[in-house]
Amino acid sequence: MKNHLRTLREERGWSQGELAERLEVSRQTVNALETGKYDPSLPLAFRIARLFGRRIEDVFVPDEA
Amino acid sequence: MDALKPAVGWLLGGIVAIALGLAAKPLLPERIADIASVMLVSIGVGSLASGLIRWRLPALYEAAPADLRRRYTREILLAMAAYMVMVVATVSVLRDGGPEGPLRALVALLPVPPIAFVLRAMVRYIRDADEMQQRIELEAVSIATALVALLYMSGGFLQAAKVIDLPAAAVMIWVFPLLCATYGVAKFLVMRRYQ
Repeated sequence: MKNHLRTLREERGWSQGELAERLEVSRQTVNALETGKYDPSLPLAFRIARLFGRRIEDVFVPDEA
Repeated sequence: MDALKPAVGWLLGGIVAIALGLAAKPLLPERIADIASVMLVSIGVGSLASGLIRWRLPALYEAAPADLRRRYTREILLAMAAYMVMVVATVSVLRDGGPEGPLRALVALLPVPPIAFVLRAMVRYIRDADEMQQRIELEAVSIATALVALLYMSGGFLQAAKVIDLPAAAVMIWVFPLLCATYGVAKFLVMRRYQ
């Protein structure tokens, strides 16, 4: 699934490690999320969206079926 | 060079333990000399491997937040230290005969509770890892379990056909270490999919 995580993170000037700390996940997980290799669970997706003050749909873009 | 720093202690510790293991044999009481020597060398090899992972494969070692990692390392090291004390105790008691009956079983099983604590540490680690790491760990455990089961079943058929003739005690003892080693390799392979 595509997402705007990297752009949002860079807007805030956070490193992957800093974002990982705020989300309480590992840096590797942030990297996998940003590159679309791992799709988060609903609770984590909500946490990410809230952290950036957005809705989930504004952060994650579903693959067109 | 940054990656080498956290590994130095483990690498040096490993070399020292191996050297001690090789040199200490004549200095120890005969009763426990060879088992203690084997253990020191094993600790050394384990420590070297740990250092090499920290140095060459930091991704494998950075999979969890530092505090979770520290707790896991502390619990594993404590349990392994207890395990080694118990193995030396069991071997030195049973070597020259030792007690008979239920007491013998009890002495033989002394190393098992520390291994149960190793398992507990692994479960606690996986429970507290984040959701993606959990998925990686669980996938790696599943693959490792399947591979080791396949290996042991093949071994069983070969032994039944009298193609091989391995001592049952050693083979049974090696299930868990083999599972751990396969788990490590599987984790490395599974992790690459998420990088």
